[in-house]
Amino acid sequence: MQIDMTNTITEQKPAMEVKGLSFAYGSNKVLQNISLQIEKGKITTIMGANGCGKSTLFSLMTRNLNPGKGKVLLHGKNIQSMKLMDMAKKVSIVHQYNSAMDDITVEKLVSYGRTPYMKLMATESEEDKQIIDWALEVTNLNKYRDREVGKLSGGQRQRVWIAMALAQNTKILFLDEPTTYLDIRYQIEILELIKKLNRDYKITIIMVLHDINQAIHFSDHVIGLSEGKVIVEGRPSEVISTESIQKLYGIRLNVATVEGQKFVLTV
Amino acid sequence: MNEKTISEETGFQIQPDEGQLQDRDRKHRRVMRATISFVVVILALIILFFAAINIGSLQVSFGELLQGLFVKYNENVATIWDLRFPRIIISMLAGAAIAVSGVLFQAVLKNPLADPGIIGISSGASFAAVLITAFAPSLYFFTPLVAFLGGVVAFFLVYCLSWKGGLSPLRIILTGVAVNALFTGLASAFNSMSGGDMSGVASIVEANITQKTWGDVVTLFPYVAAGLILAVLFIGECNLLTLEDKTARSLGINVNTTRIVISLVAVLLASIATAIAGAISFLGLIVPHIGRILVGSDHKVLVPFSALAGALTFLLADTLGRTIAAPYEVSAAVIMSVIGGPFFILLLRRSTKYAN
Repeated sequence: MQIDMTNTITEQKPAMEVKGLSFAYGSNKVLQNISLQIEKGKITTIMGANGCGKSTLFSLMTRNLNPGKGKVLLHGKNIQSMKLMDMAKKVSIVHQYNSAMDDITVEKLVSYGRTPYMKLMATESEEDKQIIDWALEVTNLNKYRDREVGKLSGGQRQRVWIAMALAQNTKILFLDEPTTYLDIRYQIEILELIKKLNRDYKITIIMVLHDINQAIHFSDHVIGLSEGKVIVEGRPSEVISTESIQKLYGIRLNVATVEGQKFVLTV
Repeated sequence: MNEKTISEETGFQIQPDEGQLQDRDRKHRRVMRATISFVVVILALIILFFAAINIGSLQVSFGELLQGLFVKYNENVATIWDLRFPRIIISMLAGAAIAVSGVLFQAVLKNPLADPGIIGISSGASFAAVLITAFAPSLYFFTPLVAFLGGVVAFFLVYCLSWKGGLSPLRIILTGVAVNALFTGLASAFNSMSGGDMSGVASIVEANITQKTWGDVVTLFPYVAAGLILAVLFIGECNLLTLEDKTARSLGINVNTTRIVISLVAVLLASIATAIAGAISFLGLIVPHIGRILVGSDHKVLVPFSALAGALTFLLADTLGRTIAAPYEVSAAVIMSVIGGPFFILLLRRSTKYAN
C-alpha cells in the first residue's frame, strides 16, 4: 500500500481554502465573493439548483477557469502560481465527461494517472506499478485490467476514471457529478467507493452531486449555492431542512427523519 | 445499505475467471496481430525496395547490383544509382514523413479525418516552395524552411478559421478544403505565369519526383529524421491528447502548449516532404487508419508503424506510377488521389462519429 498514513492525525489547517472568489461571464455574475474552507479528510459536497454556480466553483477550484477576483489556496498556496504538474501530484480530478481510445486496456488507461511523476522517456518504475495495481484493486477493476475500455459498462468505466485519478496518489480528489449517466445500482456503487476511499485512505473528497438525498447521506459537509452565493453550509444533518431546501432549490419539500437519517421527499 | 448495493469485496483470486481469460486471449491476439503487421510491412518494404531498383528500362541482376555498388564500376548500376536510388529513397522518406504527420494532426485535432493534404498544409508549403523557386532560385537551399513557414501559415489559417468555441471535426475538414483550394490555385497560377516551363516550379506543383538527385536526398533526410525523432518524443503526449482536454490538464499537461508544439512537428514533416516530393493527399489519412486497425491506437506503436507503412505506400504508388503506362509516368500524387479519394468517401460514409 502506497498511501501515506502519517497525515491522519489531522492538523487543523484546511486542505483547501477559497477566499473572496468572484467570477463573471461578461456582465453575468456567476459567483459573488465566495469564501469557504475544505476540511482535511472529509467528504464535502457542493450542491444547488442548475445555474447556481456550482460548476463554476468546481472549475475555479480545479483551475479550469481563472478567477476574476479572489483566490483558491491549496495547503495555503495560491493554485494559480503552482505548476500544473505539481498540482497534479496533490489534487486529482474526475470530470463529468470523459473519453478515451476504445482499444486501450483498463490497465494502460489507469497508468496515465502516473503522468505527473513520469520523467521524459522513462518507463514505469516499480513504484508506479504498485500504485497502479493498488488503484485497480481498490476500484475492484483488477479482473478487468486487460479488457479494452470500449467493452466496459458505464459503471465500470466510471471506476476506471476514478482509478486513473487514484494512480495520481493525491490526498485530495475532486469529482464532478460522478453518478450522472449511471443506473441507480452503479450510482450507489460509485458513492460507496468514494466513501471507502475517504474512510480507508483518508482522501479528502470534494464533489458536486445533483441528488439531494445522496448528498446528505454521503457527505460530512455540504455547501449549498444559490445565485452565486453560499446559502447553506455545514453538517447535512444540521443544515438540511424544508426551509434550506426552499432557499436552495426554490421549492417546498418535506424533510422526513427515519432512524436518525434525514430524507428529502423529492416527490 | 443492503448487501446487494455494496460492490463485491475484492477477494484474493487464485483462479482467473472466464472473462479474464478471454481478455488475456484478446490482448494476446492484439499483440500477435501487431507483431505480424510490423514483420509483413518491413519485409514488403525490403522486397519492394529491391524490386523498384530493378523496374524500368535498365535491369540488372542482384549479383550485378551488389558487385556494381561495392566491387567494381558497372555503367548500368551507376545509372541506376544516380537515377533510381534517389527517387526511391525520397519516396520512402516522404511517405514516412507524411504518414506520421497525419497521425500527429489526427491526435492534435482529435480528428481521425485530418490529413496534411486535405486540410491544406501541403498546398501551403507547396505554394511557399513555388514562390521561392520562382523568385529567388538562388535560395534553393532554404526551400524546406520556407515550405515549413508556408505550412505553418496554412495550419494557422485552418485552426483559427475553424475555431468556434471548439473544433468540430467536420468544420476543420471544410475549412481545410477551402484553404487547400486557395493555395493550390495560387501555386498553379504562379506556375502558369512563369510559363509552366520552369521545371523547378512545375515539379513541385505536379509532385513530380522523376528528376530527383542525391542532392535532394541530402536536403530531405535531416529534416525528416529530426521530425520523426521529435514525433517519437511526443508519443506520450499524443496518447494523453486522446483524453478530454480537461482530463489531460488534470494530469499536469498544458494542453494548449502541447498542441501547438506537436502541430509544429506535424507541419514540419508535411512541409518538407512537400518541398521535395510535392503535395500528396490522402496518404496521411489512409496509412494511420489502417495502422489503427492492425496495431491499435496507442501512439507508441502507431507512430513507428505509420512511418514504415507510409514509406511502403508511397514507394508502391511511385513504382506503380512508373510501371502502369511505361514509358510514360503517372506521378505518385495522382495514384494516391485515385486510390485515396474513394477510400476517404468510404470512411465518411461508414463513420457515424465524424459526420453529424
